[in-house]
Amino acid sequence: MGDEKIAKNIAYHELVRTIHQQEDFDFVGVALQDATSWHKIRWQYAAGNTNQRFRKIILRSGIGIAGLVIRTGEPFAENDLAHHQYAGYMSQPITMIEHLTSAVAVPIFDEDQIVIGVLLAGYRQQQSVTAHSSHVLQEYLQQFQ
Amino acid sequence: MLESVSWVEKNFNETPDAIFIFRDDQLLVSNHAAQALQADYALSTAYITKLMNSVVRQQRSNTNDCFNCAALDMAKTAIPFTLPVKDGHSLSFFLVYSELDPAQNVYSLTLKSNDLMQRVDQLAQQRKLVQYVNRAHEEERKRLSQDLHDSIAQGVYSSIMGVRHLESAVQDADSAAFERQTKQIESQLYATLQEIKGMALDIRPSVLDSFGLPAALKALAKRLEENTGIDITVVARDTAELKLSEDVQTVLYRIAQEAMTNALKHAQANEINLFLVAHEHEISLEVIDDGTGFDVKQHISFNGHSLGLLNMNERVKSLNGTFQITSEPGSGTTVTATFPIA
Repeated sequence: MGDEKIAKNIAYHELVRTIHQQEDFDFVGVALQDATSWHKIRWQYAAGNTNQRFRKIILRSGIGIAGLVIRTGEPFAENDLAHHQYAGYMSQPITMIEHLTSAVAVPIFDEDQIVIGVLLAGYRQQQSVTAHSSHVLQEYLQQFQ
Repeated sequence: MLESVSWVEKNFNETPDAIFIFRDDQLLVSNHAAQALQADYALSTAYITKLMNSVVRQQRSNTNDCFNCAALDMAKTAIPFTLPVKDGHSLSFFLVYSELDPAQNVYSLTLKSNDLMQRVDQLAQQRKLVQYVNRAHEEERKRLSQDLHDSIAQGVYSSIMGVRHLESAVQDADSAAFERQTKQIESQLYATLQEIKGMALDIRPSVLDSFGLPAALKALAKRLEENTGIDITVVARDTAELKLSEDVQTVLYRIAQEAMTNALKHAQANEINLFLVAHEHEISLEVIDDGTGFDVKQHISFNGHSLGLLNMNERVKSLNGTFQITSEPGSGTTVTATFPIA
């Protein structure tokens, strides 16, 4: 691992930890695209997670909340995950394994404004996410970048 | 000869149907079940002979519309018959008339026990099952169609838009924008390709045809693991030299798929273990999860909610295998399928 990669690693860890501590979200996670040829997108950093299962997940582009954010490059918020169009373990595994009831997700861009990942935060006890929640996340990202 | 007569007699006596043989109105012989009915439920032979003779006479009467009706001529006369029981549900039978010796007017009356009823139940169950399978097919198509639209079509569309941007970047001689666009298109196409491969695996694993069952199960486990984050272990023992028929392979694959899907969907399992073990003349598949479990007795009965289980069971049965589910609320579920092999 190069120095730059280690620094990035620490920075993302720090980002999810800070958001989890300073905001009231139950779970905060970052999924990033692999640099390898397959460009798979995985959850790599999390805070407030109940287990390590998130590491196994590979996101499906265009499907589920995170998938939609990556495909469209637009923020997305959902307050009724159990009855969402993509409800189910195959479509939104992260919300299933972390038992989230609502979630908000914003895209992460690289220096060329290309979507390389997603920052997701959510609640387990029916609290609502709003447009404001996505602004909050975007502000953290702006500071981060 | 004498021995075979005793076998026939034994069979006659021990059959679950009550059989009476009459000459005219006189009872000649009856079997154990018939004697039990007479003793325990006060079944009157005079009543059933009267009942049957009246029905037979009516059928033979030339005022009956169906006189000479071919179907009736072929079929034995059978009428529903209910035997009232004191302080309990009345028993339902079919009373079947067969002529044994017309010259001497010897005939038998058989009270068919619930077998017939069960058969009717089975037919209803079969119909439900066909409906279930059809519905499941439709559901699957719906999901595939949705995935095609949401993931594949959108991915291709994004790539087309990307190519357009590429054109404008060329016109503007903006090499930085060009590079950025190609990078973006590449990653979109990779995502789409990945999704196509995943869907192909869902529909019909080509691995199964080319590399066999263990490889296909491993590929399936990997995909489910990636889609759900749960731990799935596949252990295949002594299966390297195995030559399974295509049917058995497919059924074992589908059972693994359905059992794992159930474990994820309904049992909130954290871990699934899958064992494929070849023994001498036998192959067995075991899918064990650590999920919530359920009361098997309640679900295996025909109540409309367990058609998935019933369907698995039927598929295994049709290839002479055995299918078993063991589960208890709170202690996970084990699904086992075993097939004889040459």
